[in-house]
Amino acid sequence: MSVSQRPSSATPPILEVRGLVAGYEESLPIVRGIDLDVSPGEIVAVLGPNGAGKSTFVKAVAGVVPTFGGRVSLRGRDVTARPAHLRVSDGLAFVPQTENIFASLTILENLRLCAGILPAALRQPRIDAAFAMFPDLGSRPNLVAGALSGGQRQMLATARALIVDPAVLILDEPSAGLSPKLVHDVFETLERVRETGVAILLVEQNVRAALSIADRGVVLAEGRLRHAAPAAELRADPNLGALFLGSYDHAEATP
Amino acid sequence: MNPQFVVDGLVAGAMIGLGAIGVTLTYSILRFANFAHGEFITAGAYAALALSGLLGAFVGSVPVGDFSFGWNVLLAVPLAILVTGGLAILLDAILFGVLRAKASAVIILVIASFGASMALRSLLEFVFTSQPAYFTNELQIAVRFGWGLRATPDQLLMLAATLVLILAVHLLMTKTQVGRRMRAVSENPALARLSGIDVRGVVRTAWFLGGGLAAAAGIMAGLLVQIRPYMGFDLLLPLFAAAILGGIGSVPGAVLGGIVVGLCEALAVQTVGAEWRAAVAFLILTLVLLLRPQGLLGRARS
Amino acid sequence: MIEILGYAAFFLTIALSYAVIALGLNVQWGQTGLFNVGVAGFVGIGAYASAILTAPDAADRIGGFALPIPLGWVAAFAAAALASLALGWLTIRLRADYLAIATFGFAVTVQLAALNLEPLTGGPFGLGFIPRPFNGFAGDPLVFGLLNLALVALVLAFVWWVLERLVRSPWGRVLKAVREDEEAARALGKPVTRFRLQAFAIGGGIMGLGGALQAHFIGFIAPENYLPTLTFQVWTMLVVGGAGNNLGAVVGSVVVWGLWSGSSFLIGAAVDPADQARAAALQIVLIGVALCLILVLRPKGLLAEVLTHHRRPAGAQAQDRPATR
Repeated sequence: MSVSQRPSSATPPILEVRGLVAGYEESLPIVRGIDLDVSPGEIVAVLGPNGAGKSTFVKAVAGVVPTFGGRVSLRGRDVTARPAHLRVSDGLAFVPQTENIFASLTILENLRLCAGILPAALRQPRIDAAFAMFPDLGSRPNLVAGALSGGQRQMLATARALIVDPAVLILDEPSAGLSPKLVHDVFETLERVRETGVAILLVEQNVRAALSIADRGVVLAEGRLRHAAPAAELRADPNLGALFLGSYDHAEATP
Repeated sequence: MNPQFVVDGLVAGAMIGLGAIGVTLTYSILRFANFAHGEFITAGAYAALALSGLLGAFVGSVPVGDFSFGWNVLLAVPLAILVTGGLAILLDAILFGVLRAKASAVIILVIASFGASMALRSLLEFVFTSQPAYFTNELQIAVRFGWGLRATPDQLLMLAATLVLILAVHLLMTKTQVGRRMRAVSENPALARLSGIDVRGVVRTAWFLGGGLAAAAGIMAGLLVQIRPYMGFDLLLPLFAAAILGGIGSVPGAVLGGIVVGLCEALAVQTVGAEWRAAVAFLILTLVLLLRPQGLLGRARS
Repeated sequence: MIEILGYAAFFLTIALSYAVIALGLNVQWGQTGLFNVGVAGFVGIGAYASAILTAPDAADRIGGFALPIPLGWVAAFAAAALASLALGWLTIRLRADYLAIATFGFAVTVQLAALNLEPLTGGPFGLGFIPRPFNGFAGDPLVFGLLNLALVALVLAFVWWVLERLVRSPWGRVLKAVREDEEAARALGKPVTRFRLQAFAIGGGIMGLGGALQAHFIGFIAPENYLPTLTFQVWTMLVVGGAGNNLGAVVGSVVVWGLWSGSSFLIGAAVDPADQARAAALQIVLIGVALCLILVLRPKGLLAEVLTHHRRPAGAQAQDRPATR
């Protein structure tokens, strides 16, 4: 796809992050002031070397890591003080990297559990829609989720997050541990999700795959946003490899 | 061997099973062994005693049918369950919840529960004295079945009531959103939060259920034996043994474990002597930890 | 004056014997992070083992070997250490609170055995005529009291000295490493489980020794001395003093025993005899609430900061370690 297809800046962002400072200890923040906007139907890849704070950043946006400064807004509403479980009803869904399904519950129970915050009339239609999107899951709803393979787990985790019809979907390393074929499947699914107007924030180590579907990429280093560019531009960047040696931002910082 | 131990063991086992459901629920959701659980049993029994005394003034205490107790006791049961469930929530709010919020280690919570157990038990002793109390002074005539088995109408009612309660809890856990939420939080609280679940609400539900079921067990113990400040504390070891034997987190396991412990205790009373009853639970606990630490119906983890 | 001095010696002797028990608990909890809810069981095993071996022969009992007191103390340590070893071996690899539940059951069973094994333990009537050190001076209560105080203080000092040596030894350093980062210690090939088991056994043995000290000082033991209240008292002593440091354990023992016996004395003097049982219940309520308050407000102990401003309480790391999963 071409860069011009992306929503222009005229579309108001659905997720707005301003000066976010977050981490596990206030004296030692891992995320040290990040700004980011994501628009409906847009896929933004969050890239950077190990320890750059990518995962902490998206977890803070989801509300599972304490925030010490800055602001997170969803649909123009400040949600910084909202606990994680209420951000889900605000329209923000998060798929963690590991342990992202309830292994002791069946597939159907996993979905029903998450549909619980919807009005009663909407629950079954949303579950039907999820099964339509992931027919593999719909064919055996009563299977215990712990019995699923790695790729199917990722499908269920994504379906679980989408069940509430979120405005923003955040995924933490969805391709980790999957075979190239499965990575392809997962990313194809994300493209379909994007077409329904959901904004997607994607943390990835698998840079090439991420940039192949993303509209934009942002590069984090040491808890700060060092670079933001259209995905096509990043794909063409010969320095891309250096990104993960941690030298990319260094090269930029030195004129 | 006199087969009567089967009846006695089943009745005691049903009671232990009810209490053990509470232990297993709070353990799997809050992740610590609550040594104050026995005091919920005692508190439930005393709450029912006090309430039945109050209600006796309005509805009288004439025995109902063949049972030994009147409407005042029957009406006090649901109220005592509510009161004890509330007590469990209160204890969490002022003690365990505060420690969790400070990210205290599991073991700190266990010590705190130990202190709370001591304080609660002595408080009950202070209010009600250490003299045993009874719901009723009526005597009962046992019903005889074949094979020399006999049971009092009270015992049969307890068995039936336990069966209904256990079935209700099982349906709650497997068929309702409340149950799914509890299972989800017990498996992965962080993911539960990300699924839009208010974990604190689920924790309160678990405390309420655990406290309420403990009260039910305490009322049964009070009707079948007597009410004393130590009654719950003395049941604590059988409850832990039942919950671990059944597999922590498993409601059917807790019931099964309770029945096994109850039957073994009754058998030991008949063969070895009543004075060794209290050691049976420790023996079972030792064997489970030695042979199958995950319990009969538990998942292997940890 | 002499009476007060005599009482002070009596009070301190009991308090210091509690301090020995608290030091044992400190090895298990403060140094190793193992939670023992059956302190009374290990204290009881030690007391009975020593009493049975050293008491004079009696017609209606097995035991009564009239052995020398020091031999009884060694046996008390060994018996309690062996029991700890067995119980620890069973549970130490499992969840942290399974050990707690198992020790709790163990204490219940020990008390039951003391109550029911009448030919060996005297049953509910207990065991009397346990030889008392310096019994030749029993005619002069003050001298007798001071000599016993000196002896218990000597044993306490010896236990303390051994423990401080152990903590500084290679063994203690591995234990510290295990406490601070179990995974790293494991990765370095340290047999973590064996180290924790050893610490648990040593701690249990010291509790048994403490139990024997008390038994020989009083000269009489009975099953009701070894109820869960004892476990609760020792825990309160350690928590007040601050887990992980030996000085805290000793000071905590003296302070808590002072409060305990002081309030018991007040109840005895001020409350009508008919209401004394209820007043005693209220006393336990207050101490239970105090224990919970300390855990909530000052989890490192009331005295820890005062006593160890120059060194970090060793228990701090143990408490930070998540226990399960």
